[in-house]
Amino acid sequence: MSDHTHHHDDEHDPVYFQYEQIDQQQETYVLGMWSFLVTEVLFFGALFMLYIIYRWKFQDDFYLVHEQLNWKLGGLNTAVLLFSSFMVAAAVHYAQKKRKTQQLICLGITLLCAFMFMMVKTKEYGDKWSHHLIPNKAFSYGEHHGGGGELGGQGEHAAVLPNGGKITLASGATNMGGEGASHDEFQYHPGNGTIAPQPREKPAFLKFLDGVFAPLDMPEKEQHGSPEHARLFLSLYFLMTGLHGVHVLVGIIVISALMILTIKKAPTITDYIPTEMVGLYWHFVDLVWIFLYPLFYLIPK
Amino acid sequence: MSSTVVETTPKVEPQVEKNYLNADHTIKSWLLTTDHKRIAVLYLISVTVMFFFGSVAAALIRYELTAPRGLLLSSEAFNKTFSAHGVFMVFFFLVLAIPATLGNFLVPIQIGARDLAFPRLNLLSWYLYTIAAVLVLISMFMGGVDAGWTFYTPLSSTYSNTQITLCLVGIFISGFSSIATGVNFVATIHKMRAPGMTWFKLPLMIWSTYATSVIVLLGTPVVAITLFLVVVERAFGFGIFSPELGGDPVLFQHLFWFYSHPAVYIMILPAMGIISELITCFSRREIFGYKFVAFSSMAIAGIGFLVWGHHMFISSQSVYQGIIFSLISFIVAVPSAVKVFNWSLTLMKGSVHFSTPMIYALGFLGLFVIGGLTGLYLASVDTDVHLTGTYFIVAHFHYVMVGGTIMAFLGGIHFWWPKMFGRMYSEFWGKLSAIIVFVGFNFTFFPQFILGYLGMPRRYHLYYFAPEWQVYHIMSTLGSSILGIGFVLPAIYLTHSLVKGRKAEANPWDARGLEWEYTSSPPITENFAKTPVFRGKVYDYDAVADAAKYEGEIEPVIEGKGRTNV
Amino acid sequence: MATAQHDHSHSHHIIPMPVLIGNLVLLGFLMGATIWAAQSLPAMLHSSGLPDAQISLIMNIVALTIAFLKAGFVIAIFMGVKYTTKLVKLYAIGGFVWFCLMFIMFADYATRPMEPVHGWEPEIPSALPRNTSEIPD
Ligand SMILES: [Cu+2]
Repeated sequence: MSDHTHHHDDEHDPVYFQYEQIDQQQETYVLGMWSFLVTEVLFFGALFMLYIIYRWKFQDDFYLVHEQLNWKLGGLNTAVLLFSSFMVAAAVHYAQKKRKTQQLICLGITLLCAFMFMMVKTKEYGDKWSHHLIPNKAFSYGEHHGGGGELGGQGEHAAVLPNGGKITLASGATNMGGEGASHDEFQYHPGNGTIAPQPREKPAFLKFLDGVFAPLDMPEKEQHGSPEHARLFLSLYFLMTGLHGVHVLVGIIVISALMILTIKKAPTITDYIPTEMVGLYWHFVDLVWIFLYPLFYLIPK
Repeated sequence: MSSTVVETTPKVEPQVEKNYLNADHTIKSWLLTTDHKRIAVLYLISVTVMFFFGSVAAALIRYELTAPRGLLLSSEAFNKTFSAHGVFMVFFFLVLAIPATLGNFLVPIQIGARDLAFPRLNLLSWYLYTIAAVLVLISMFMGGVDAGWTFYTPLSSTYSNTQITLCLVGIFISGFSSIATGVNFVATIHKMRAPGMTWFKLPLMIWSTYATSVIVLLGTPVVAITLFLVVVERAFGFGIFSPELGGDPVLFQHLFWFYSHPAVYIMILPAMGIISELITCFSRREIFGYKFVAFSSMAIAGIGFLVWGHHMFISSQSVYQGIIFSLISFIVAVPSAVKVFNWSLTLMKGSVHFSTPMIYALGFLGLFVIGGLTGLYLASVDTDVHLTGTYFIVAHFHYVMVGGTIMAFLGGIHFWWPKMFGRMYSEFWGKLSAIIVFVGFNFTFFPQFILGYLGMPRRYHLYYFAPEWQVYHIMSTLGSSILGIGFVLPAIYLTHSLVKGRKAEANPWDARGLEWEYTSSPPITENFAKTPVFRGKVYDYDAVADAAKYEGEIEPVIEGKGRTNV
Repeated sequence: MATAQHDHSHSHHIIPMPVLIGNLVLLGFLMGATIWAAQSLPAMLHSSGLPDAQISLIMNIVALTIAFLKAGFVIAIFMGVKYTTKLVKLYAIGGFVWFCLMFIMFADYATRPMEPVHGWEPEIPSALPRNTSEIPD
């Protein structure tokens, strides 16, 4: 589709039909990518804004709920993404130097990092599912206790009562409408002190991931905090990390495509610019995670 | 009229040469084209189809309202009808009608480029738009949506059981179509201008398209993700705006209007660009205060982002915030007023030619002023409390959106029609339908100001409690029938002109600008036989039209600076 | 093509490998710092007798400062903004600046109570419970 009609008089690579010079073409592509990243910044920006407002309103509960997240796995993912960011920068470096083998190796490592990230994410999501922390309509926070955790308050912040998952917070957060549809779903009998269902049995592939990441596992924690605000927090968590995960998946696709096209010497890969653009995108994915990690996994009390 | 037509002698059959329309005739060559001019034509067809659907919904609404107890629709059906009207018209017509058709066609030609920066991305954006439009049409035919085009939570997220999820997915996808076009325009305008085409020699259409693209880049992702959150809330039961979880439904409105107020500038700025072109051409005069008009576009793009709260004065938003937004809303009226003053001063002392496009442009001036000034009533908190949610606001934004954007769109289509398709339409029918649109429009929407002032709520189809309003409603419906004729006529005679119309000269209006003076009608696929070098002044109506001022050898390529790369 | 005879043309700038490696080390260090701060700093601040609210504030500031530093290094070095044209710099910063405009919302949330709504019905079948047959004559 892209005609390479306008060859230029110097030793440069062929430019596309609509451009005059290779410099112009390269600068235009980089600018185009950056203007796309502006939209990505605002895309996630709106979500961060939501998060900031709710965190500001419900700081205490967000702290209590964030204990359900595994900061070690999140930290591992941060390291993985930082390293992959470096790798993709190195790939651009070698692409500029036309050292194709090194470029492909760097891209390959980036791709492995992306897969690693998705594995960790799958493990984390699997744990959340197993611990009944998916914030859908059947969400019943505070009624599930794994790991033999004892009932009762932790510090002065929360007290979990055995009747109906009611939670009283010393900080004064209210709890309303808590006894919702969840009761029918789990045959929970208020008053007789029965503790609700055990963690859900995991499918085989999640058990496999449990084995892989066993050193970073953290025991299931008691569920403190208002169930409503927990659902809000976890909704934000799944939305933001989920959309970030979608971006990682897209990254896997474009990095693979770039590698295949580079190996096949496709006519669309005439210079380092495609690598540069993929790199910029991947750095952006890293940037989002740089903010997601402290905001979700490392909330101060 | 000092019409000096260059090189082509009028009335003589222009040489049958290759142009972008007859370059290839297969369907595939159209559906897989990367030529910005062909994509503009594809977009023109698509937005016309969506405009048709929106108009049908509008006609149903007007018919229903002629009787105090309604004539045709149940309450459910009425809600779905006005929602469909809003969704089609706002998301699938107004935000992209001008940029995607005229903008796509003109941006590369006016700056002297062979194509947009990313032709394949441009094609992708049309496909995304088409997919989105199809999804939304499916959602409408599967039962429609009843939450209005604004999709306020918790009505849209919790209570409504209509096809909102599918419809919002469609709108979400159309957002990416807008973004693709915006990225393309920004890169093109920055990097692909012809030698000598510096920022202050650009046609004002380019300035306003650039400002529009910046708003698209900064605003569209926010509304896309906000509507997506409603989808997530409906589909998976996540709660982001749910009040029972401590979430705040008003936060949806904040994020929605963070885009949707700037979106009215996405709709009106390209229209302003067209008007600047039309007024200068048919006044035969350089525009008064070029830099003011150019910078006011950028000012509107910037300040437009700071006023969204004026849509939320009665939404439980805090009073302090209301006051801030009210104040800034008054400020944003200033750059719009600057433009109107400059157009008026251009007309003064100009030799005004009343061709069809100019009649639309003059209509725009009058209607936009009324629309803009009534906006001030709504920007002020105290009057807004009375007027918001009534037909006053309906009349106000139709004056801006129909009286502004659609008048300019029609004016622009009539102006560039000879360039796009190489044919002239009948000037008689053109003028007649322009006047019909103007008259019909005022008949439709002026009574609504009165209705709104009297208290008729918007989105109601029953007013048995105040039957004295019927006379205004009947006036409005009559007017909308006239308006409908005004929209059907151009569709007929413009289509007719494609076959039977007189062949157009390269510069039938004796206008200035690269697209008139340096390309044939219609242009060749590469736009220019030879890369133009711009040496003249912009809007130089004192000089004769002269292709020679663009020619000459390309300036020596100084170290990668063949083009103006800023 | 990268035979850098066009020195003035910024898009050709190749970021030296030692700079990239240094940046990675720096980022790793900052990541360690943010985890360390989250794990150990509160206890230290607690022992110094600061009130809880202030500790929370300090912790938030520390975490976000480190995050912004990390983001800054990624943008400046890895994404090459430090070496690029002014125009790209403008666009790189523009998105973040525009995101900050959304903080105007705090003028709203800081000045009105936002309280959970009691008695909110979770679900009713339709948005339109109205009965239109009850129109009086
Ligand atoms: Cu507005």
